[in-house]
Amino acid sequence: MSVTIQLTYEMSKVLGAPRLEVEGARNVAEAIEQVRSRFGELGGEFEKLTRVAAVAVNGVLASYRRGARTPLEDGDVVAFVKAAAGG
Amino acid sequence: MIKGYAGRVLEVDLGNRSFAFRPLDEEVARLYIGGKGYGTRLLYDRTVAGIDPLGPENLLIFATGPLNGSVAPQSNRFAVVCKSPLTGGIGNATCGGSFALGMKKAGIDVLVVSNCSATPVRLEIDGDRDQVLFHDAADLWGKGTYATQAALGKKQYHAVIGPAGENQVLFAGIVSNERIAGRTGVGAVMGSKKLKAVSVTGSRKLDMDDPEKFKEYTKEVRKIFKDHPVLGESMKRFGTGAIVNTTNARNILPTRNFQRGSFSEAMNISGEYLEEHGLVGVKTSCIHCPVTCGRDVEVEGVGRVKGPEYETLALMGSNLEIGDLKKVSEWNYWADDMGMDTISLGATLSFAMELHERGILDAGIEFGDPAGVTELIRDIGHRRGLGDELANGTRRMSAKYGGAAFAMHVKGLELSAYDPRGSFAQGVEYATTNRGGCHVQGASMYMESVGPLTINPQNLKMKAEIPIVQQNLACAINSMVLCIFTTYGIVPKAVHQMDPNSLTYRALVLAFENMGPLLRRVMSMKGPPMLWFEKWLTFITGEKFSGGHLQEIGARIFNLERMYNLREGFTAADDTLPPRMLHEPIFKHMSSGHPLDQLLPRYYRKRGWGPDGVPTQRTLERLQVQV
Repeated sequence: MSVTIQLTYEMSKVLGAPRLEVEGARNVAEAIEQVRSRFGELGGEFEKLTRVAAVAVNGVLASYRRGARTPLEDGDVVAFVKAAAGG
Repeated sequence: MIKGYAGRVLEVDLGNRSFAFRPLDEEVARLYIGGKGYGTRLLYDRTVAGIDPLGPENLLIFATGPLNGSVAPQSNRFAVVCKSPLTGGIGNATCGGSFALGMKKAGIDVLVVSNCSATPVRLEIDGDRDQVLFHDAADLWGKGTYATQAALGKKQYHAVIGPAGENQVLFAGIVSNERIAGRTGVGAVMGSKKLKAVSVTGSRKLDMDDPEKFKEYTKEVRKIFKDHPVLGESMKRFGTGAIVNTTNARNILPTRNFQRGSFSEAMNISGEYLEEHGLVGVKTSCIHCPVTCGRDVEVEGVGRVKGPEYETLALMGSNLEIGDLKKVSEWNYWADDMGMDTISLGATLSFAMELHERGILDAGIEFGDPAGVTELIRDIGHRRGLGDELANGTRRMSAKYGGAAFAMHVKGLELSAYDPRGSFAQGVEYATTNRGGCHVQGASMYMESVGPLTINPQNLKMKAEIPIVQQNLACAINSMVLCIFTTYGIVPKAVHQMDPNSLTYRALVLAFENMGPLLRRVMSMKGPPMLWFEKWLTFITGEKFSGGHLQEIGARIFNLERMYNLREGFTAADDTLPPRMLHEPIFKHMSSGHPLDQLLPRYYRKRGWGPDGVPTQRTLERLQVQV
């Protein structure tokens, strides 16, 4: 089972790509854990970046569903979302 | 005269080239503040239903408010009001730049332009001498907005049109410096009057009720703005483009004519990318604004020009499936130079691409391919070839060629860059906003899908209430006249700094989402001024303004706009969304689109309107809306 992770801009600078694929993540928590592992020694940086970012599954914030336990399906997109303002 | 106003309305008749200064109507100023509110009242009272928006009967009204001419941050904006040639209903747009300051220095609160000139003309207004000169503008006719302003020089403050306005492109705007009053075709109305430019000068100072308090408090506000995560940090660093990655992650970034809500190359057109790759180092602002949301970019063959904002990045980037920031910047430049609204332009181009894709029209442009777009933009501005048809916007194009199901407009005004299927309150706002499908007449999306304290944007809770509060507030803001971005500062820094995954944050969101009618009650309370714009208005005018006062005034303006549209023949059937938004799902968990039919009756009820969408007599009397 493959899930696409959409990173924030800051995360993408660290990992060198805007998106990455993770395999076998059954829920949001497991997907996040896999992203954390990609940060390796920069895990502290990942913690910092996730403190200002919510997580959305297919565009819907996980907090509206089952939070970190929100189940994932093959082909889902898990995105880190920062609040912003535009116009 | 109430403090904060110059006390004068300048009336210019282009038909016989005459002018007169008249006193500002104080009662109207008390009821409608100024800007959009005052302009709407004038338009309602002085025109009749059914006039040709591009004919001599239409008025072109430039209006300032009591905050203009002060040094209050974000206060350098003016409103333009007229009948819209794009929608056939109320037309208005606000603009930054410097013209608002010029008007107040010239001692003019409102400029009313009537009739049409037979030949191109420009106005030169000297407020100190009470003089208006009518200059032949044949030498400027055909020039872009950049060249026109350069030719007029820096000694005055200008509002100009480009070729799009001259050629009456129905989504042409009016430009001041590098900013544009973009929406509803106000530039086409100026072009129909053969009015190329208005230049103002003067040396008057704003007369305030309590200048000391204003000065002291403004210092405080500047500090608040400087420390604010949006106004002092995100906007300053990334401009409005900071929101691209957010809307993309929330699946509400218009992509491929709103066929999708996310774009694989979104990051390449984001504000963050712009800062890193496209910015040449200069961040720009309107006069007296510390936010500096504008930023320059280098466009090949042109030089350093204003860079694209969020709406442009989305409507002319992701919505065309173009992830090339240089291309979007180039198109943004041409749109600005021609004097066109990039929202309507982008939506019209994406509509043409979909017509092409479906084999309905050989438009010569395709999603994901920039080839031919630059030429077509210029053709639209000059009304050449297919550009002549596209210059009429998506509604008229769909009437001719079909494709109404994917013509992305409300009341004829093309949708802004927040897909309402993932932002239900924003959808209600689009459907009910009097000028049509626009986001800056309320910005409900900030409260539900992109801001720091977002509720679940896909249930029915608060989705009728939020647009009402936000539309009322926006009407008041656009009448002061202040930048709508000021409302982004209302959510305090502490909330921005909360971990969105924390229990406290989630409890706060839950409380907000379940406020129900309490939201409007709280917002309608008339007490002491709390927020900066309430205090500024109070210090400047000497009148008391609180959140409750502004909600009441905003509702008055909104209902008057509504009555204008009803007089023009609009009905509840016009309060809708494009069929794609209502019937095509883009979220995995949804089987249809936006649930407007469930929300609209509640919205009408809470507005004090009947089931037919008409304000009741009681509502009009309560709000003192004379019709």
